[in-house]
Amino acid sequence: MAGLTFLVKRWEPVLVVLILAAGAWSSTLSPYYLNVDQLFDSSRNFVIPGLLALGLVPVVLTGEIDLSLGSILAVGTILLAKLALLHVPLGVAIAALVATGALLGFLNGLLVASFGLPSLAVTLGTMGAYRGIAFIVGTEEGYTDFDPGYLWLGETALRGIVPVSLLLFALAVVLFAVGVHATVFGRRLFAIGGSLEASRFTGLRVTRIKIQTYVLSGVVSALAALVWIGQYGSARADNADGVILLVITAVVLGGVDINGARGTVLGVTFSVLLLGTLTNGMGLANIPGPTQTVVFGSLLVLSVLVSNVVRWRTA
Amino acid sequence: MDWAVERTGQPVTGNRFAERALRVRVGGVLVFLVLLSFAFGVASRRFLTVENARIIAFNAAILVIAACAEALVVITRNLDVSIGSIMGLAGYLAADLVARAPGLGYAIVLVPLLVGALLGVLNGSLVAYGRVPSIVATLGTLSVYRGVTFIYARGQEVTSTRLPHWMLRGADLMVLGVPSLVIVAVAVVALLTALLSTRPAFRQLYAVGSNPQAAYFYGLRTRRVVLLAYTLSGLLGGLAGFLYAARVGTVTVILARGWELSALAAVVIGGVSIQGGSGNLIGVAFGAIVLATIDNGLVLLGVPEFWRMFIQGAAIILAVGVDALIDRRIRRVLELRRAGRRV
Repeated sequence: MAGLTFLVKRWEPVLVVLILAAGAWSSTLSPYYLNVDQLFDSSRNFVIPGLLALGLVPVVLTGEIDLSLGSILAVGTILLAKLALLHVPLGVAIAALVATGALLGFLNGLLVASFGLPSLAVTLGTMGAYRGIAFIVGTEEGYTDFDPGYLWLGETALRGIVPVSLLLFALAVVLFAVGVHATVFGRRLFAIGGSLEASRFTGLRVTRIKIQTYVLSGVVSALAALVWIGQYGSARADNADGVILLVITAVVLGGVDINGARGTVLGVTFSVLLLGTLTNGMGLANIPGPTQTVVFGSLLVLSVLVSNVVRWRTA
Repeated sequence: MDWAVERTGQPVTGNRFAERALRVRVGGVLVFLVLLSFAFGVASRRFLTVENARIIAFNAAILVIAACAEALVVITRNLDVSIGSIMGLAGYLAADLVARAPGLGYAIVLVPLLVGALLGVLNGSLVAYGRVPSIVATLGTLSVYRGVTFIYARGQEVTSTRLPHWMLRGADLMVLGVPSLVIVAVAVVALLTALLSTRPAFRQLYAVGSNPQAAYFYGLRTRRVVLLAYTLSGLLGGLAGFLYAARVGTVTVILARGWELSALAAVVIGGVSIQGGSGNLIGVAFGAIVLATIDNGLVLLGVPEFWRMFIQGAAIILAVGVDALIDRRIRRVLELRRAGRRV
């Protein structure tokens, strides 16, 4: 666990300060902001993109990208909807969900790692293709017929306060933090992102590891579908369309280098919390969506720009 | 490798192969288009007609321009995912201005070009001088430009009744049986192709894209080259946005949303390597036509709309797959050649 000291670097404290500032600002806007119910409930804003962002981290650390996560989520919600219509037991449905996510992720990994195709182009393609599958299977219909068991994870709050989905997110954070920063597998991700050639020469099975990262991100995205149907009580093929922008924003704002080899799970977690806090606060302040969009976009660019400038100054 | 060359003693044949392969890279999209047309032609009698070809060309025209904008940036080994938002902001601003001040007349065309170029300069500055990775920078400006459009518009749309007559009619105009939009697109492709293949300033886009570091050590001002690419790209994006506004008539704040993906798809299908340094705009134009043909064919066949996304996605993957295959062969041949020279 000594590796966990690795978690704290320069960028994370900055994010914490920003979160606190955003929280303080929000509390001046509405007397209801610092209400425990409200705070926990607002986690619904960020749990789903947060899960996808965590899943994306290992992929980005190796220097690749995956744009297809939102589409995999949509395939997942449609799959759950179809299985629910057949009254398939939840356990079987989850197994099918994981298998599907793994398969779609594997396909991404195969094209990127085994065939050596550029991941940006490949996952741009599969983003369309997987979304297409969701539409072909699900058409434009909205499905709302779910057994209560299917919805439990996404809609329930323990004691009426703590959403189960938030606990799932917390669990995912811990698993990813340990996996990325305190396991051999995790260190290898950094090695591959740092130098693909060198990693190959040291005998790392680069292709296999890359495929594993894609399978992992696929599985996480598919599981996020379970949270989705609980939260919204419905499934449709256009679910999570466009979410990838927010997900990449969270990853980059969290201090992960888009070219790989640098970043922490803790940073990404903080940036997810920051985006959640801002969404919540701006919502309370009745700041219209478009302005929020501008804020998020500027934040993304500025976070990289400022850290670049700081690095030049100190260099 | 060395001994193979010595034994055959003919590195020259390799040379010829490389040239042929390079030509295939451009021809690939054409072959694909022919196969696609053949399949659709067999399946639907209405597909292979002059009228339908005109419809496809008309539908592809604006995408051709947007894809050229994207290609200029991709050639320098960068990306621009904000092109749809540039089209939206430039198109909306122009439409709104001309609706408020109809007296501006044809001069209004300058507005989207200028706005587009400015947005391109901002993108280019962030990437070239701010050293922000291009996907991050333009992902940010994608949100910012679209957000600004929303804020400026305050939920209003510019209805077609408020647009000048010449603008709406111009988009549907036929000149000698050819849609005016197609003529503009062809002119853009021809002009840029000429520049890209003859002018040193434009050749530098390829140099920077194929090896940024080598280009820098060679003495090229790589940052300026990247800035130029983004500026031109923004300008073309502005033009495409204006034409699209004129074509759809009723201009809303979500004008051209998602076009960055179609443009990128056309670029990749058109044989421009996403790793920069290669490809040409004629290929890109055909890439856009392929996308328009897929749309058109599926409609004629009565295939549910849902298949469109799947087939487009598959086409992108197929295109990069073929591209990588050819690329590998070229590399091998070049290696042989280099070895041959040393012998």
